[in-house]
Amino acid sequence: MMTKVTLRNLTAHKLRLALTALSVVLGVAMVAGTFIFTDSMSKQFDDLFAGIGKNVAVDVRAKQAVQSGSDEQVSSRPPVPAALADELRKVEGVKDVVGNVGGYAAVIGKNGKTVATLGPPQMGMNWVNGGDYDIQSGRAPQGPSEVAIDEATMKKAGYGLGDRARILLQGPTQTMTVVGVIKTGNMMGATVTAFDTATAQRLLLKPGYFNDIQLVSSGVGETVLRDRVARTLPGDVEAITGSALRDELKDDIQQLLSFLQVLLLVFGLIAVFVGAFIIFNTFSMLVAQRTRELALLRAIGASRRQVTRAVMGEALGVGIVGSTIGLLAGVGLAAGLQALMSDGSEGSTGLTFTVTPVIWSYAVGVTITLISAYFPSRRAAKIAPVAAMRDDVALPQRSLRRRAGIGSALTVLGAGLVVAGIADAGPEPLLLLGIGVGMVFIGVAVLAPILSKPVIRVLGGVFPRLFGTPGRLARENALRNPRRTAATASALMIGLALVSAINVVNSSAVASIGRSVDRQFGADYMIISETQGGFSPDAIKAVGQAPGVDQATAMYVGNINVNGKRASVLSGDMAGITEGAKLKMLSGSTDLGADGLLVDEDTAKSNDYKVGSTLPAQFTDGARQQLRVAGIYEKNDVIGSRLLSEQAYLAHTAKPLAFMGMVQVATPGTASKQAVEGALRDYPNLQVQDRSEVKESFQKQLDQVVVFFTILLAMSIIIAAVGVINTLALSVVERTREIGLLRAVGVSRRQLRRMIRLESVVIAVFGALLGIGIGVALGAAVQNGLADQGLDILKIPVVTLVVYVVLGGVIGMLAALWPAWRAGRMDVLKAIATE
Amino acid sequence: MKNTAPTSAEGLEQPGAGPLAAQVREISKIYGTGDAEVIALDHVTVGIPKSRFTAIMGPSGSGKSTLMHCMAGLDSIDSGQVFLGDVELSRLDDKRLTRLRRDKVGFVFQAFNLVPTLTALENITLPMDIAGRKPDTNWLDHVIDTVGLRPRLKHRPSELSGGQQQRVACARALAGRPEIIFADEPTGNLDSRSGAEILSFLRNSVQEMGQTIVMVTHDPAAAAYSDEVLFLTDGRIVDQMVEPTAEKVLERMKGFDLPGVTAS
Ligand SMILES: Nc1ncnc2c1ncn2[C@@H]1O[C@H](COP(=O)(O)OP(=O)(O)O)[C@@H](O)[C@H]1O
Ligand SMILES: [Mg+2]
Repeated sequence: MMTKVTLRNLTAHKLRLALTALSVVLGVAMVAGTFIFTDSMSKQFDDLFAGIGKNVAVDVRAKQAVQSGSDEQVSSRPPVPAALADELRKVEGVKDVVGNVGGYAAVIGKNGKTVATLGPPQMGMNWVNGGDYDIQSGRAPQGPSEVAIDEATMKKAGYGLGDRARILLQGPTQTMTVVGVIKTGNMMGATVTAFDTATAQRLLLKPGYFNDIQLVSSGVGETVLRDRVARTLPGDVEAITGSALRDELKDDIQQLLSFLQVLLLVFGLIAVFVGAFIIFNTFSMLVAQRTRELALLRAIGASRRQVTRAVMGEALGVGIVGSTIGLLAGVGLAAGLQALMSDGSEGSTGLTFTVTPVIWSYAVGVTITLISAYFPSRRAAKIAPVAAMRDDVALPQRSLRRRAGIGSALTVLGAGLVVAGIADAGPEPLLLLGIGVGMVFIGVAVLAPILSKPVIRVLGGVFPRLFGTPGRLARENALRNPRRTAATASALMIGLALVSAINVVNSSAVASIGRSVDRQFGADYMIISETQGGFSPDAIKAVGQAPGVDQATAMYVGNINVNGKRASVLSGDMAGITEGAKLKMLSGSTDLGADGLLVDEDTAKSNDYKVGSTLPAQFTDGARQQLRVAGIYEKNDVIGSRLLSEQAYLAHTAKPLAFMGMVQVATPGTASKQAVEGALRDYPNLQVQDRSEVKESFQKQLDQVVVFFTILLAMSIIIAAVGVINTLALSVVERTREIGLLRAVGVSRRQLRRMIRLESVVIAVFGALLGIGIGVALGAAVQNGLADQGLDILKIPVVTLVVYVVLGGVIGMLAALWPAWRAGRMDVLKAIATE
Repeated sequence: MKNTAPTSAEGLEQPGAGPLAAQVREISKIYGTGDAEVIALDHVTVGIPKSRFTAIMGPSGSGKSTLMHCMAGLDSIDSGQVFLGDVELSRLDDKRLTRLRRDKVGFVFQAFNLVPTLTALENITLPMDIAGRKPDTNWLDHVIDTVGLRPRLKHRPSELSGGQQQRVACARALAGRPEIIFADEPTGNLDSRSGAEILSFLRNSVQEMGQTIVMVTHDPAAAAYSDEVLFLTDGRIVDQMVEPTAEKVLERMKGFDLPGVTAS
């Protein structure tokens, strides 16, 4: 019997439930899409790597003395001498020996633009016959001025066989003849450029060296061969099996993919969380509208449990339908993402389906619907049977004091977790932060009905004056059911809170960096590379020769082990650094010699370093050396915490690459800048920036991050907009009679539509204000927590936040279009006659 | 044998009754199609004289509300013509119809007359506020005092009794000095004392202010407050009565009580 009631209700309220299901659909789609997309990527990489190094039995390479940082793309292994290859050839069971050279090389297209995407690498290598790739057309490169390029990059660059192509390198740009097209399959945006071995060594690495040496077996098993080879190797070189090598490659990619997966998943779950508010609200409204019917059921003998179950049954239906459609939409989303990432070569399409997205979709979609509908269903069960007989029925409302208590407690507790999370407490600070933010959202949502009254009074205060009676009615309608208004606004609050927090952190970062640049950047120009990795210090040398240039300093970055722990160090000519970074010594001197190390005051303090302390250190080439603390400097944002003697750095680095150059000129101005740029003619990827351009380029980079996160949060905001539509549509149905009355006494359709639009706007703006309030607090907390890491200025982007409030209003306006249209179309008479 | 009762416009016009505030000519209204077809109004012709209190009586389902809705421009008709003053309604689009209702017509319904978010006073001035017209304060004060709502003006409908709510509705209908007021069973939900208050109030507004009122009711006691009663059965006007009393109306009603009596 109750099942029948549930089913009837599901079919009777198709439209409302469809809108509710939509909020489940969108969140689930993001979750499902994330899994399908990353699964597909993972499968494609597997296919890609199935071919790579398939003939390799054993790989010989230098040992990694210093772990490379997780954010560095370049291997920190030093190269091995080519002579080792000849030794290895003599080992029994080795059929063939291949030396590999790899490094940075990119193709500059016919239009002068470098073919490169932000993520995937631009790989340069030595061409090996019978290696990982085949030549599709043309032939293998030979000699110092021939190159082969992969198919997709050829197309993008607009080159054909025989064309002269400009190749961007870490050293000077080369012009070479394209003699071959490499068949690679889908590289997902990565580019491949190949030279003959000697040329590759010269351009990418170091003449006479390989990155690693791969051995082909004459039939001996790979472990046996590895052990045999290992016995002949010097101490700083190691041998691993081909299988182990392939696994390492896969692991790297898997790590990258799982990071991407977690990132996307987080935003998917945020969207689902926002959807929960909508579901909660819709079910609350459905229960309220059916109070009399439910009371009747109770009056004729249905138990509380049965009423609860009837409502939960509806939720289950909505959850299942929503999850199913969400899963399908996720397939579409994944296909879209893939199309976006595709480089146009064949094999770049095709999705991989596993059971994971299916399980996640239903688990997330159904669970969230049931949890959200649980509270309304409990309220439904509390309806007294006598309500069936009464005319003016109202659901029992929980006391305001209790609401205030629960809401404040949740908010405070959540805020505590946020602070703890930012302070890096516990084993999982990010998780702590996430849970804390979630609790704050729920806490504020619980408080929102109390807040809504005064806030909406104020916001809607001008309505009567501006819009007359429809304005006043709109304000009163928004005030009428604070719980409903609050839940609707809260859904919008979440997305806007996160977007505002990101903006607050962003503008604080821009301000902090700007101040650091002003205070500590003493160079007239900075030279940076637009492409990945570093660039050849020869470029800086060339700048040093330019007219009007007093001093050009190449800055290096690297990792060393100090006391057995990895530490990141900067290095370069001390005279240039002292001036360019306005280095202020607190003690000791900048005379570093071959073993000197400078540390900043914080590092000195926390490690108890004194001028003259000696520290055991190991370099990436495996060499060990005692370093001497030569001096301590004042905290410096340009330099960071450690400065290593340039002499020591260069001595232990096979192919030194600058990450930045600092230039002092006699008279700053257009002429001197042009002189510097002129010296860099061969390095089109290098940019010369003055102080304000440095700030601008930081801001641009940060802005890109903000845009990225904003796009990911857009789904949450869209779901919230669906929630506003839902609330208004339901309110219109609920107020059918009242709307009829208004129409009967002469309210025009236009006035009616305006009334609904204004109600929507005021609710949305309320949500936007709540969100921006939380966002500013959250952003300020993050800034405060990171103040000692350089984020020392709190700057609230007032203009941007005002834009978000306006945007909230616009969302409200758009969300109201359809409900308002429906209300306007309502038959006056039916509206009056509704029983 | 159809329409034995005097239903022609000429037949209804009383000598000395003056001009008409509203009239319908040969209007029909049919709901549904096929088996479900209901003829709610069957070629009805009626004139509503100005400054008079006209009651429309009839058993439940006889078409009273439908007739009123059609006359007031709330509902469309399938054939015939409706005039409010000298404006023919079928020519008006929704915009003009809305403006006409707002400026020239007042309504009192059986229930749910008021906007719950507005106070009593705001409800009373609602049609004028919508129109952007300033209420005539003297007149407004007069109306409020007549209905005796002065101490309740700041209250919301939920804080008012049923009788008080209906008085607010009447005050709203009168406040704009409409050319005609339509009231559909305005006392249907009230106890007899509150009902009597409302009815004498309507009656007085006709006598003292010259207001035109059309009231739909099925209660003979309510009809007795009017100047003239029109009897409706099965969508047709079957009789009329001037200067009715409750007894006379009840007597007449008995004859119509059973559907189909007049048709046989
Ligand atoms: N919207 C409608 N749809 C179908 N039939 C209707 C509708 N409104 C009224 N009716 C029918 O028209 C007839 C007249 O109704 P109504 O004017 O409401 O009667 P009264 O007000 O006299 O009780 C009744 O038979 C009723 O069932
Ligand atoms: Mg009726």
